[in-house]
Amino acid sequence: MTSLSMDERWSLADAIAGRAVRTGVYTRSLADALGDLTISPLTGIPVAFAVLYAFWSIFSSFAGDLATDGFMVKLFDAHWLPWLQSVWPDPQSILYFLFVGDPAADNCFEAFGVLTSGLFVSIGVVLPAVFIFYLTMTVLEDSGYLPRLAVLADTLLHRIGLHGYAVVPMILGLGCNVPAITATRILETDKQRFMMMTLIAIFIPCGAQLGIMLAVIPESVGLVIFTLLFGFALFGFFFSRLLPGENPEILIDVPPYRRPTIENVSRKLRIRTMGFLREAVPFVLLGVLLVNILYLTGTIDRLSSALAPIFVVWFGVPPETVGPLVAAFLRKDLAVAQLSTIPMTAYQMFASVILVSIYFPCVATFVMLLQEGWKFLGGAILALMTVVFLYGGLIHLAGMLLGVA
Amino acid sequence: MKKAITDLEYGETGTIVEILGFRQELNSLGIRTGKNVKMITRQPIKGPVVVIAGDVQVAMGCELAAGVVVDLGTGGDR
Amino acid sequence: MRLLDRFFSCHCSGGTAPDAGCDHEGTLLLIGNPNVGKSALFNRLTGGSATVSNYPGTTVDVTRGSLIADHQVWEVIDVPGAYSLEPRDAAEEVATRIVAEHPDAVAVAVLDATRIERGLYLLLQVLEGGMRTVVAVNMIDAARAKGVLVDTAALQQLLGVPVVSTAATTGEGIRDLVGILHKAQVANLATVRDRLAGKTPQTRVNLPGCAGCGRCG
Repeated sequence: MTSLSMDERWSLADAIAGRAVRTGVYTRSLADALGDLTISPLTGIPVAFAVLYAFWSIFSSFAGDLATDGFMVKLFDAHWLPWLQSVWPDPQSILYFLFVGDPAADNCFEAFGVLTSGLFVSIGVVLPAVFIFYLTMTVLEDSGYLPRLAVLADTLLHRIGLHGYAVVPMILGLGCNVPAITATRILETDKQRFMMMTLIAIFIPCGAQLGIMLAVIPESVGLVIFTLLFGFALFGFFFSRLLPGENPEILIDVPPYRRPTIENVSRKLRIRTMGFLREAVPFVLLGVLLVNILYLTGTIDRLSSALAPIFVVWFGVPPETVGPLVAAFLRKDLAVAQLSTIPMTAYQMFASVILVSIYFPCVATFVMLLQEGWKFLGGAILALMTVVFLYGGLIHLAGMLLGVA
Repeated sequence: MKKAITDLEYGETGTIVEILGFRQELNSLGIRTGKNVKMITRQPIKGPVVVIAGDVQVAMGCELAAGVVVDLGTGGDR
Repeated sequence: MRLLDRFFSCHCSGGTAPDAGCDHEGTLLLIGNPNVGKSALFNRLTGGSATVSNYPGTTVDVTRGSLIADHQVWEVIDVPGAYSLEPRDAAEEVATRIVAEHPDAVAVAVLDATRIERGLYLLLQVLEGGMRTVVAVNMIDAARAKGVLVDTAALQQLLGVPVVSTAATTGEGIRDLVGILHKAQVANLATVRDRLAGKTPQTRVNLPGCAGCGRCG
């Protein structure tokens, strides 16, 4: 078989195309005009925000209000939990505690059992969020919008050592960190993937968290989000300098806009959602089991008493916040809700919310990081501890300088 | 008159005469010598540049774009 | 999670047990650039049966399925989208390896009718590798809308391999594609160049999907 050089091959391709393809008169279509509008920064950036806002609204109304609070909570708290509590033998046994949880609990969140909280968190809370976000992503992908979004985002992301396409896991992370961690696989280098995973786990609040924050501390939400994003950029910048590895420039094809078909979207959606159920759910259950074992052995109590003084002094928050911080490992949004019941100053509330968001990923995110690799998880925890100390201290310092801490 | 792609004005067209770096990568997406390109947009503060080359549209980082030299004199249609 | 895999997938949609080992006619490799509608084409060919798995040692997903046609079963592999088989990123690396691992497979080269040159470049690499090949010129509906005409008969006569036009989103041409799989040919690029230069007379057959190998008489 002949082996051609690159240039010979291109000449051959051109020659064949010349013979076999005839181009008619080129008329500019609506799709072409839209394509250019959405990729040019002046028009494209407002469009991007509008698109993201639209999907955020759909997300919070469907996944948050309808699916989770409306349907899932009822299913789990009113039916699954009482049934399980009645059929599982020996309420005082360890197995009962591990798998069903606190016998006195009347809702799946507080029960803390593998089959109660574990299933509730993964299927009742995370699954609807994941579903909606996968749906959004697939439509954006099939229509051809994603490359344009990546081009708009690349200007900033390249500066902190990431690629324009990193915007995809970032957006996914706003729904739920779990699929976002998996989505980092679209990035090319290990360094980019690690940075993305770590930054998402630390700084991107999931939809449930944002929802609660809007409900409970509406006046501070903007500042919280700004602080988190600023931390993302700040530490992203430093990580990209400190970690070895390259950051290749963006070079992508920008396809024309095409109408997504229902068959393709539903097929991809099915594969992705099944992938989530298969890969994430078992690990979340495992995570809850581990937390329960730690709790039984008293490790958690010892940890919280050890950490309490550090939190109080370094971050400037009241000692009662340590309780919700433990709960945050399971569900950050309800941890925020618990925080709101503690009497605190506005600054303390702000600082504790930030702390809940960044100090440790929720159990589902934790196990996803583990799934990507021990090294990634280890590095992420290390980065996390550094960030929490540095950033938390910085915030406290800022608070003291402003006279509010 | 020759310019790097990074210096093209909005809508300006020309023919690629030289590729200074990453030739294999650029070629495989369709950015190659002899191709007619049209500048679509660029992003502020050294962001990516978007061009149409023949029947494909490609976005490339500004350093990549700086290495592609275009001759404006022979802008035609293709 | 091998156990759970069995619940969510099966390698043969013929209803046999997953590990019974179906009688495979052969393997089809769907090869093409990203964004040419390759996965839509894959879905049309394989129906509901598809498994997605990581290519070992990478984070690149490979989708596999089965095509059942005329009581024969083809294993279909949706090779990750690539612009070239001289790999410059992870997806192309995996694509190159899969091609190398299946020298006896039939290559279904999927081209975007509206952006054909890049597809032809990859097609030539596939032909250079000596694989039996058929060509699907996909997105022919979008080409029509843009006023782009692809002469598939001319392409077929030039290359010496079967060429059909398809529109995976509507299903157009899929049956033709399945029908010509058995007629996949190995191409001779020297002959292709001669034909372009006008030195060798073109094969005289004009039937759709026929590459004029002469074996049917």
